[in-house]
Amino acid sequence: MLEFVIAFVSTLAPLIQEGSQQAGSSPAIPAQAAAALAVGLAAFGAGYSQRGIGAAAVGAVAEDDSLFGRGLILTVLPETLVILALVTVFVVG
Amino acid sequence: MSARGEASNYEYVTARAKSRRAALFDADDYRKLVRMGPGEIARFMEESEYEAEMNALGARYSGVDLIEYALNRNLAKHFNDLLRFAEGKLYDYIARYLRKFDAWNVKTVIRGLYAGSERQEIEDDLIRAGELPERTVDRLLEADSIEAVVELLDGTIFGDSLAAAYEDYEETGVLVPLENAVDRAYYRLLLADVPAEPDRATRLYVEFLEAEIDFRNMRNALRLARSGADIDPAEYYIPGGPLFSAGELQALVNNPDQLVEAIRSSTYGDDLDKALNDLDAAGSLIEFELALERALLEYSSQLSNRYPLSVCPVLAYILAKEREVDNIRAIARGKEAGLSADEIEEELVVQ
Repeated sequence: MLEFVIAFVSTLAPLIQEGSQQAGSSPAIPAQAAAALAVGLAAFGAGYSQRGIGAAAVGAVAEDDSLFGRGLILTVLPETLVILALVTVFVVG
Repeated sequence: MSARGEASNYEYVTARAKSRRAALFDADDYRKLVRMGPGEIARFMEESEYEAEMNALGARYSGVDLIEYALNRNLAKHFNDLLRFAEGKLYDYIARYLRKFDAWNVKTVIRGLYAGSERQEIEDDLIRAGELPERTVDRLLEADSIEAVVELLDGTIFGDSLAAAYEDYEETGVLVPLENAVDRAYYRLLLADVPAEPDRATRLYVEFLEAEIDFRNMRNALRLARSGADIDPAEYYIPGGPLFSAGELQALVNNPDQLVEAIRSSTYGDDLDKALNDLDAAGSLIEFELALERALLEYSSQLSNRYPLSVCPVLAYILAKEREVDNIRAIARGKEAGLSADEIEEELVVQ
């Protein structure tokens, strides 16, 4: 999991540096693209945390059907991360 | 069931184990149970968790036997479920502990053959919760001599030590070497192959098993010290616990007061303080052993709350379930023997 992130960053970093040298004064990642990245990464984090919560919720529901509602709520709670990250789009845009 | 290198699914398995733990009988249920007769207990169980087993076995058995076999079967079902759910390392951790039922089954088969029991009788006493596949257990049942059992187990964890002990058995004609071999094979593997630099989950698990071994050593030592039997403590010493070394235990067995003092100053001292005072006051070993059980349960549920995403909640469930089965069996057998409700209540370990 973590290795992928590190590999992703280490391949991206030289590209960005190259880009910034060519373009001179303008930023490597335009503001809107950075906001999009923020939303994407937040969604990624939310998804990763939902993996564990979802597994636990399914386990609990398998034992006791009445826990379905509670399990569903807890499973979607990390979605709030994405909504918060979405704010950056409006701040930038 | 689990490939090596597969990731563990702690979330799923602990959620299921915790849910099942919450469904175990509580103090109220036990209060009701100790006031019932064997027939009522059977009916109570038919309306609870044990319904399927009671119905399946109801045609063949009755009374306390029915309760006992239903308990065993239910235990086996739940523990097999755990093994079925778990993947990766978690499976390995659970299987290590549950192999104690393999040890139990092997010992039961050997004892049954030694005593010349019927196949059905032996089969009823098995608890099929371990790691040995169904087919192997069935073939063990079909074996007609102890030698055949030893041969069948060749290649399993019990193979080597049983084969070595079989010669002893042939010479002496008593079962002790074979049973010792089975037990030692189990305990040897309990803490074998633990990674040199364990991560948090593994360290907790090892802590858990070490506590279990310490408690077992403590119990054996106290029994020996109390009974004053002339047995070499090293024979029954189980290596791996941090509390006693073989030499220490040997010295302490001859001096019960020092032994109690040593336990009091150990890390378990706080939990066992009350039990140790009782032991000093009444001198009753049975009560002390029950207090040990209670402390182990408490310790395990503490670990389970402190580290929710580890093997601890699963093991806490396993211990609690074992205790429940023992409790109900104690109630049913106690009723059969005509003990009073108060006497039975003293035998129970309720959290």
